[in-house]
Amino acid sequence: MARYRFTVNGQPREVEAADPDMPLLWVLRDRLGLTGTKFGCGMGACGACTVLMAGEAVRSCQTPVSAAAGRRFTTIEGLSPDGGHPCQKAWLAEDVAQCGYCQPGMILEAAALLARTARPTDADIDRAFDGHVCRCGTYARVRRAVRRAGALGGAR
Amino acid sequence: MSATRRDFLRYGALAGAAGAALRLPLLAETAAGVSPFAPNQWLRIGADGRVTLVVARSEMGQGVRTSLAMILAEELEADWSSISIEQASPSPDYPDMNTGGSDSVISSWPVLRKAAASAREMLVAAAERRWGSPAGECRAERGFVVHAPTGRRLGFGALAADAAKLPVPKDPPLKDPKDFRIVGTRVPRIDGPAIVSGRAKYGLDTRVPDMLFAAIARCPVAGGKLVRFDAAKAKKVPGVRGVVAISNGIAVLADDTWAALEGRDALDVVWDEGRNAALSTEDLWRRLDEAAARPGRVSRKSGDVEAALAGATARFSATYRDTFQAHASVEPGSTIARVSSGRCEIWTPTQNPERVRREAAKLLGIAPENVRVHVTLIGGGFGRRLGADYAVEAVEVARAAGRAVQVVWSRPDEFRHDFLHPAGRADIAAGVDASGRIVAWTHRFTTFHLTMFGAFDPNAVDDPDVNPWGGYDNPYAIDNLRVEWTDVESPVATGAWRSVFYPPNVFARESLIDEIAHHLGEDPLALRRRHLEGKFPFATREVDRAELRAVLDLAAEKSGWSSPLAKVPGRRSGRGIACNVYHGRTLIAQVAEVSVGDAGDVRVHRVVTATDCGQVVNPLGLEGQVESGVAWALSYALKGEITIARGRVAETSYREFPVLALAEMPEVEVYAVASDRLNRPSGFGEMPVPAVAPAVANAIFAATGKRVRKLPIRPEDLRA
Repeated sequence: MARYRFTVNGQPREVEAADPDMPLLWVLRDRLGLTGTKFGCGMGACGACTVLMAGEAVRSCQTPVSAAAGRRFTTIEGLSPDGGHPCQKAWLAEDVAQCGYCQPGMILEAAALLARTARPTDADIDRAFDGHVCRCGTYARVRRAVRRAGALGGAR
Repeated sequence: MSATRRDFLRYGALAGAAGAALRLPLLAETAAGVSPFAPNQWLRIGADGRVTLVVARSEMGQGVRTSLAMILAEELEADWSSISIEQASPSPDYPDMNTGGSDSVISSWPVLRKAAASAREMLVAAAERRWGSPAGECRAERGFVVHAPTGRRLGFGALAADAAKLPVPKDPPLKDPKDFRIVGTRVPRIDGPAIVSGRAKYGLDTRVPDMLFAAIARCPVAGGKLVRFDAAKAKKVPGVRGVVAISNGIAVLADDTWAALEGRDALDVVWDEGRNAALSTEDLWRRLDEAAARPGRVSRKSGDVEAALAGATARFSATYRDTFQAHASVEPGSTIARVSSGRCEIWTPTQNPERVRREAAKLLGIAPENVRVHVTLIGGGFGRRLGADYAVEAVEVARAAGRAVQVVWSRPDEFRHDFLHPAGRADIAAGVDASGRIVAWTHRFTTFHLTMFGAFDPNAVDDPDVNPWGGYDNPYAIDNLRVEWTDVESPVATGAWRSVFYPPNVFARESLIDEIAHHLGEDPLALRRRHLEGKFPFATREVDRAELRAVLDLAAEKSGWSSPLAKVPGRRSGRGIACNVYHGRTLIAQVAEVSVGDAGDVRVHRVVTATDCGQVVNPLGLEGQVESGVAWALSYALKGEITIARGRVAETSYREFPVLALAEMPEVEVYAVASDRLNRPSGFGEMPVPAVAPAVANAIFAATGKRVRKLPIRPEDLRA
C-alpha cells in the first residue's frame, strides 16, 4: 500500500492508499474526517468538492491521491481559523446559503477568484462559477457576496 | 503521524467519547448546561439564560430552523442571540414532523406561539413572586423580566428554576402583532456560520463509531429482479469488507466510500429487467395520450360547459405538455443505520422521519418505539426526501452487515433511482362571448400517479378532491367550468417535486389566458383583472379574487408593466405575466422579462414577484425562497428533461440534465402586499415556482409571436 504525503490546512498529512486513483475528495472526507468538502457528482460537473491547491480552485473528486502528493491544499475547514475569511464574512452578510450543501465549494471558488482578480467583473464571476451547481438557486447572492468579499480585501 | 485505518478508528472513538456509545443519546441530554425550565416539549431555558427550541421539521434550505426560532423568540420575548436549535426525533411529543407542502411555518405558528407565551407568562409570574409585586406590573422584554415601576430586571436564566415550579397556563395571552420586533424583520440564517465554516453536518457527513460505507447495485430498470451475481472481483478491491444481497440489490461494504463505489462497479450482476426492459419515453407518452382521449374524474364543475362552448363567439383549445424532471439535489442520498438487539438507529436526511421509522420497524418486525430516527441537515430536499426508500434500504444493509453502515448514493444512482416529477398534459378549451367574457372553460389534466406514495389505485380519490392543483383552483370567474383529471399507473418511480402538479397546470392555464388576451387584442393583465371578481373555492375555503387582483396590480406596478421594455440589441424582447393561488392560501403574480436571440436562445433578464402570503416571518427568507423558486422554475422551463430509454433513466449527470447556472440567473425582485388578510403566515416554499414558466412563455410570445406549448422550451422552436 503506497503512502502519500501532502499538506492540508497547513498540517502535513500522510495517508496510505491501495488505489493511486482514489480521489482526494474521499481521502479528505473518509480518512481525514474533513467532511466540509462535499460529494456532489464525482465527475467534476457540480463544483461541490472544490478545494484550493496552492491557492487554485480544483475539483477534489478529479484529483487522484497520487497527484495530490507533495501539494498544499486548503479546505473549507482551513480557510480561516474562525470563519473570518472575507468570503465567509461576505457569505454571512449576504445570507447566501439555503440548504448550504454547495456553499463550501462556492466559497473556495470565490477565494481563488479573488486571489487572481481583486475586483472581478460579472463576466469573471460567471466564468469562475461555471460548473458550480446550486439547486437552491442562491446565485444572485453568491454574486453579491463575491463583490462584497472583494471589497473586504478578497483573497486572504 | 500517518492517517490510516487506525486514525479512522480513533476518529470513531472520539465521536464515541462525545456521547455516541451504542445508542446516541437525545440531543437534549447532551445540551450544554442544565435546563431547569422546560414547560413543554418545544423549549427549554437554562440557568445561563440559553433558550433551546426543539425543531420538529427538517431543514433543507427553506430556513425553517430560523423562521421557527423567530416565532418562538418573538412570543417568548427572548433575546435573539440566546436561541439555540435542537432537532427533534419522532416520538409521541412530536407527532407531526413531515416537512412538505410549504406547511411548516403555517402549522407551527399557533403551536410555538402558545408554547412560548406559556413560558413567558411563567417567567413573569416567577419574577412577580420574587419581588412580591402585584400582577400586571412586570413584563418580559428581550430575555429579561422587568418590573416597570422600579426598573428592576431579572434574566430568564435567573428565573428559570422558579418558573419551573409554577403551573403551566392553559390559555396564555399572545402578543399583539403590532408589538412584534423579531417577526417581520430581516434575520440571517441561524445556521449560517456552521455552513460557511464547513461544520454543518448533512446526511453524508454524519459519522458513527465503527461504521462501514456501502454502495448498492440496483436494477437500472424499475421492477427488475436480480438473477445472479458474482462478487469475486468486488471482494478483491482493497478496502472492501463484504458483499451482501438485499431485497433490491447487492450492497458492497467497505472501509471508505471510494472502495465501496469501486467494489460495486466490480460486481458481475445479471438482472432480469422484467416487463419494463424496453420502455421508452415515447411509450410513456402514448399511455398519457391514450388516457387523455377519455374523460377524467371531474373535480370541479359549474354551469353547462358544452352549451356555453357551442354558443361562444370565439373558441380556443390547446394542449400543453411538460416532461419528466429529476430533483437533482446536490447532496446525493445517504443513510446510516445500525440494527442490534431488537433496536434500530437511523441517521438520515429525511423530510419524513415518521415514515422512515414506520417502514424500518415494519421491515425489522419490531415496534416503532424501538427505532430511533435522527434527522440530519438535508442538502436539498424538494420532495425527494419524502420517500423512505433510501433509509429503509440502509436498514436492510445494516441488518445484514451486523454493524453500522452508511449507504452512499452516487450521482448516477441519484438520477436513476429518483422519484421523478412525471410528464403531464393539460388539455384546455375555452369559449369567449361577443363581449369578450370567457364564458366556458374545460381543463383536463393527465399524468402518472406518484409511486412515492404507494401503489396505483384507480379508485383512490382525495377527499376533498382538489386535483389537479392549478386546474381545480382556477382563480378566474368563469360561469361554465369543468375540471377533470386522470392519473395513469406509472411504470417508473414518480413522486413529489417542488410544487408537484401546479407547474404543468398553471403553465397551461396562464398560457391560454394569454392566448385569449392576444386574440382579443387586450392587455393580458386587463383580461385577468376583468375575470377576478367574487370568490372561488379551494376545498372548504374561499379566496376573494380581489386579493389576487391586488397582487397582480402590485406586480404590474413594480415591473413597469405598462411602460415600454428596454430593447436588448440584436435580440427580440418581451414581457409576460402569470399568476396563481397556492392551495387557497398564498397569492402570487409574476412578470418575466426575456429576450430571444436569432438562434432561439432565451435569456430571462428579470422576474418580478408580488405576493400576498399573510404575515411575513422573515423577509430575507421570503426573498430567498422566491430566488430559489424562480431558479427551480427556470430550470424546469428552459433546461434539462429526463427521458427513459430501454427502461432506464437516460440522464445520469448534470451534463445530461443541466440545471440553471449562475450566469443564467435573472434579477429577482420580491414585493409582499402589506396584508392582514390572514393575520398569520400562509407558507412560501413551493409557491414561487408555478407561475414562472407561463410568465416566461408569455414573454416569449410577446417577443417572438411564437406560442410555447411544451416544456422545457427549446431554441429550435424559437428561431427567427
